[in-house]
Amino acid sequence: MTETLVPPAAAPTPPLPPEHRRRPYRPHRASRSWQLIRAVLLVIGAAITLFPFYAMVVLSFKPTGPVTFPDSLLPWPFSAEAYDAVFGAKSVLRWVWNTLVYSVVSVVGVLLLSSLAGYAFAKKRFPGKETMFWSFLAMLMVPYHVTMIPTFIIISELGGVDTYWGLILPTLANAQAVFLMRQFIASLPDSLFEAARLDGCSEWRVYVSIVLPLIKPILATLGVFVFLWHWNDFLWPLIVGQSTDMRTLTTGIASLQQENVPLNMLLAGSVIAFVPIFMAYLVGQRYFTEGVASSGIKG
Amino acid sequence: MEMVVLPGRRARRLRRPSAREAGTALLFILPCLALFVVFRFGPAIAGVVLGFTDYTIGGDTGWVGLENFRRLVDDPTFWSAVRVTVVFTLLSVPLSMLASLGMALLTRRAFRGAKIFRSIFFLPVVTSLVLAGVVFTWVFAEGGPWSSLMAGLGLPAGSWLADSVLVIPALVFVSVWSRFGYGMLILLARLQEIPAELEEAARTDGASAWQRFRYVTLPQLRPALFFVAIIETTVSFQVFDTVYVMTGGGPVRASYTLVYMLYDQGFRYFDLGYASAIGVALFVMTVVVALIQRLTLGREK
Repeated sequence: MTETLVPPAAAPTPPLPPEHRRRPYRPHRASRSWQLIRAVLLVIGAAITLFPFYAMVVLSFKPTGPVTFPDSLLPWPFSAEAYDAVFGAKSVLRWVWNTLVYSVVSVVGVLLLSSLAGYAFAKKRFPGKETMFWSFLAMLMVPYHVTMIPTFIIISELGGVDTYWGLILPTLANAQAVFLMRQFIASLPDSLFEAARLDGCSEWRVYVSIVLPLIKPILATLGVFVFLWHWNDFLWPLIVGQSTDMRTLTTGIASLQQENVPLNMLLAGSVIAFVPIFMAYLVGQRYFTEGVASSGIKG
Repeated sequence: MEMVVLPGRRARRLRRPSAREAGTALLFILPCLALFVVFRFGPAIAGVVLGFTDYTIGGDTGWVGLENFRRLVDDPTFWSAVRVTVVFTLLSVPLSMLASLGMALLTRRAFRGAKIFRSIFFLPVVTSLVLAGVVFTWVFAEGGPWSSLMAGLGLPAGSWLADSVLVIPALVFVSVWSRFGYGMLILLARLQEIPAELEEAARTDGASAWQRFRYVTLPQLRPALFFVAIIETTVSFQVFDTVYVMTGGGPVRASYTLVYMLYDQGFRYFDLGYASAIGVALFVMTVVVALIQRLTLGREK
């Protein structure tokens, strides 16, 4: 529903020719005492950051019943009964499925539509192109909560409440994805496309066999971001998926919490919801942490 | 709200655009365009217009002019929501940015393990706030880790989520935990771009570590800090998920934020006209604060 927030640092750019690569930064050697202070601070920071994840996993493997802190942080008594209960609940499996549908279909849709549009904006000429592109981009300025209400009204008028298409369709108009696609494709040399066109390839053929293979890096990056965005989305599924059957994992877990479900089951559900996030993060890792800022900030 | 790159006009190619080229281009854009018209352009206008109507689900709709905004100004709940949201933002944005800056500086150099720490700090950013909310509800519970820690430090113990003053600091903690990794990555990217010669020169001139940071690094980071401040403020103003999961706006509206009020009015009472007015108010607040930040943080020395 909202635009995916791709950190500017993560937007990939095609590799630079060797003479343009930056020389590696060789800093002054850090002093011993500084290294020690740094290590201590980092370990404390990492411990605070990871603690909730640790607690989530450990507490989800407890037998049902009251647990008291600090004993609750020990990995015993160990029991997988919460998982049995959660996997035995039809509704939870249904939520996993709903979340998968919402995320995967949205990813495929956004990648397809935005790469098509991005290619046209980057390499084609037609009257009104700039105006259209900038009006797409202007939508990034419009706050989500202002558009959310009319979008909900449109969806409910069309009968899309409690349906997959009602959940997915509005999220396919992703201005940020179109923007990134256009930027990336514009940086590819025209000659690549010209040759194919001179050989008499149809435009669709050029898109499928030339554009798509060339834009794999940006497809992967955007794919990971859009997936994570939808997997974690909360407010939109909350208002569109009103029946128990149409909840996603986030709205489902929130509803379980209000029903005072035992903590171990609540956290077992959370772990199940977290596993795909973690996997997507491992896959998309390098886009987050190795990307050098290629946009966003021009100092 | 994210990218601020202005692509320069590319040099005109010599080929004249043909009708056929324009045709296929439009065909490629058509699916996106159709979705944008229905779900972006339309709602962007309607979202403002609705604020001037009494649209309710299942009711008649009439134009009421400024009535909703008059109602807002007279609504103590609204002012309380504004206060809660602003206090939350004033606490969470600076703290989150401090953590971002600290961790960016600490993991700046390529030492063994720097990458692992960066990855750890970014993990909460990609984790759903609902999951964070569920776990932190336990963390802040009576007799839980947080209250035990606070008791040990001689600070107010007990459940912070049940305390009308401490509930906001608790939510701020979760917000900082979940957001600082984002700012850290933006700042790191900028730090990598600062020419090493600058700092080496300062070092040769005998500048202390603090002086190098204050007079070399910080000015170079200014645009990036401004960018992070804008993003984090926008995110903070829209705090919702954690409030919904952890407090439900309580105790006694002490964590009843603007977006929570919008949700309440629009999707519990079905008063979508009033909810849209809250959306407009939120937008105006965001723009005003962004302008203030532009004038303070964003100005070039």
